[in-house]
Amino acid sequence: MITVDGHDYDWWKGMTVAALLTQIDNSGYCAVVRLNDRYVSRPNFETTLIPDHAEIFLLPMIAGG
Amino acid sequence: MAVVQLKEVKTIEYKRPDIEKGYAGQTLALDISKSSVAIKPVDDKMKKTFIGGKGFDLWLMWHAVKGTTQWHDPENTICIASGPMGGTPGYPGSGKSIVTAISPTTGSVMDSNVGGYFGPYLKFAGFDAMEITGKTAPGAVVLIDGIDQKIQIFDSEGLPEDGYALSAALTEHFGQGKPRTISVVSAGPGAENTLIGCLNFTWYDAKRKIVRYKQAGRGGIGTVFADKGIKAIVARWDTVSMSTNAPADKDTLKKVARLYSREMVELDPKQNEMARVGTTHLVPIMNDFDLLPTNNYRFGSDPRASLIGKDVFQHLFDPGFDGCWMGCTVACSHGVRDFVPFTGPYKGEKVFVDGPEYETIAGCGSNMGIFDPYTILEINFYCDAYGLDTISVGTGIAFVMECFEMGLINETHTDGLLLNFGNRMAALEIVHQMGRGEGFGKIVGQGIRRMKKIFAEQYSADAAIMQDIGMESKGLEFSEYMTKESLAQQGGYGLALKGPQHDEAWLIFLDMVHNFMPTFEQKAEALHWFPMFRTWFGLCGLCKLPWNDIVPEDNKDTMEPAKVMKHVNWYAQYFTSVTGQEAAPDDLISMSEGVYNFQRIFNLKMGFGRREHDAIPYRAVGPVTSEEYESRRERYDGQLSEKHGVDIKGKSTVEKVAVLRKIREDQYEKLKTAVYERRGWTRDGIPTVATARRLGIDFPEVLAVLKANGVEV
Repeated sequence: MITVDGHDYDWWKGMTVAALLTQIDNSGYCAVVRLNDRYVSRPNFETTLIPDHAEIFLLPMIAGG
Repeated sequence: MAVVQLKEVKTIEYKRPDIEKGYAGQTLALDISKSSVAIKPVDDKMKKTFIGGKGFDLWLMWHAVKGTTQWHDPENTICIASGPMGGTPGYPGSGKSIVTAISPTTGSVMDSNVGGYFGPYLKFAGFDAMEITGKTAPGAVVLIDGIDQKIQIFDSEGLPEDGYALSAALTEHFGQGKPRTISVVSAGPGAENTLIGCLNFTWYDAKRKIVRYKQAGRGGIGTVFADKGIKAIVARWDTVSMSTNAPADKDTLKKVARLYSREMVELDPKQNEMARVGTTHLVPIMNDFDLLPTNNYRFGSDPRASLIGKDVFQHLFDPGFDGCWMGCTVACSHGVRDFVPFTGPYKGEKVFVDGPEYETIAGCGSNMGIFDPYTILEINFYCDAYGLDTISVGTGIAFVMECFEMGLINETHTDGLLLNFGNRMAALEIVHQMGRGEGFGKIVGQGIRRMKKIFAEQYSADAAIMQDIGMESKGLEFSEYMTKESLAQQGGYGLALKGPQHDEAWLIFLDMVHNFMPTFEQKAEALHWFPMFRTWFGLCGLCKLPWNDIVPEDNKDTMEPAKVMKHVNWYAQYFTSVTGQEAAPDDLISMSEGVYNFQRIFNLKMGFGRREHDAIPYRAVGPVTSEEYESRRERYDGQLSEKHGVDIKGKSTVEKVAVLRKIREDQYEKLKTAVYERRGWTRDGIPTVATARRLGIDFPEVLAVLKANGVEV
């Protein structure tokens, strides 16, 4: 089990950030997620594995300085 | 602590007006040459047209300077203002001051916004804005004492040179046991010895019992301040509450402030964690998207970026409340306690470093090829202490490093310094030389535009290549984002009124990552709406960070998520509740449009403000060198062949660089045309008379400037 923005999601071995986002409605805006205190950006979504019990936040659009 | 010796030159007593609906209703004019003070009324027309903050600054400056005024002329005027909402505690980001002057590096109007308590204290002391003209012998200290209702001008002796120690000494001296009642504006020796000086604005950190600093960094206003012979300006004010601004509707103000504050507290921990890590989260993100300037904007990423980002600084920052204004729940002004510099006058002593923020990390780190957080901290500290803009320092030294590596300059020019990328000790030495006004650092401190001229004329360096790689526009050094792959952000920098600073339009993510504006018209629309709304914060004394760095959870489901309209609506309510003037979101844009166009025409008055002045170096547009092209060959080859239909078979890299350059430069010119049209400007980038009339800025002297530049009805 993992949590995404406070909601529970099933976890499976080999789950990537990209795979997770396919399960979440309207997540196309999401270019960066915070995975257990580490930022993961879209170029790395396909290759970043999510560990079990992870806490994930989908970050809003990055707005800059 | 230094002994403060002040000799009173003049004391002027005044009657402090009651604040009414966010306004003091008057401004302060100080001629430091004569030690004279005048108080001018603020009328309804001024409020309606210019709102406050930067608007008031520009209106006062317009009357103070001539089109021929140079930065070091006595009539050059530094203006400082808050805004009608400035000084509201509890509404996040409500403590900004906006500073303007004719810039030493651009020769035109410069504006810079800054945290700290000065602007609100100035207003509560009775002045919506202040203007400072004239020059005096070095060492003048000015006190604006809102508690005892007097303005005092002093000569000083023996005060510390650097901003770090000076502000602490003056806070203790004037605070009379209540240091929180004091905010100090000062520059430093680097501001005096270069053209890229900043101003330090202080706030007192009651928990840590130290004076903290924010910087009005851009465009050398600190240099103007030092040139005037002013050591410091001090504002003194008592306690602040939500009633201090005498808002028109306090109940609504409390309600909207509570909603906004609560949202920041609830959502920031789930989003960017700015209350914990400031803007350091941007470092890894920019790096991942190839947007982090590295080695003078040659590249946008480096494997070592993780060494200077949030993962490191979250452990270095001293935990605690770091709001640069009272009750701000974004509270992003972090710092490092007990840092021990390894060079310079503070070598071996424990100091508190205010920062770094993203811009300083990228400018004084990755862009110089430096990936050591402690060196970045040390450059940050000394830039503040010397009164130097970290962005211009970072971008300037990065330019010098590339010139050195290209062989355009060598050790005979740099006094033996090996200014290769990554040479942290050489970079630090340049900073110290800027502080002392010595050696090659003195040349670097002239800014990139002047360096290009010096290197070409005195060192026979290739002017054309320096034009391509010298990251300045209008004479101002670029802030720290890679724009090669975002045409909209090229416009965000190139069309910015004061020069390439991201505070007008930060569209790089919306454009490049989210592809929200694929057409020229959409980019032009964005380059209208975003600069206007961002300008509005500077009119009102506000910080823009709470608007779109922390956003509502349902923002993604709204029609225009980039605008964060829920927050825009709250800002409209905030404005109405303080000023009593009904305002809808569109009205906020209209308010800014008048001031924005006025500033463009002000540029014209100073001899700038045309299409030619919106030019940017090619390094901001595309790959200058074959090395840059080859490093992202797949991207560029793909664009040439697939997007632009160019047959690249058999073409050398040099040929492909040239073809791509032609395409991209044409696109930038087309973008300029589209934006000018959207803004109601001529093809030469000048507001039309109809635009000036529509916005209520058709004053006779404004129309005269337009007419003198060939723009008539």
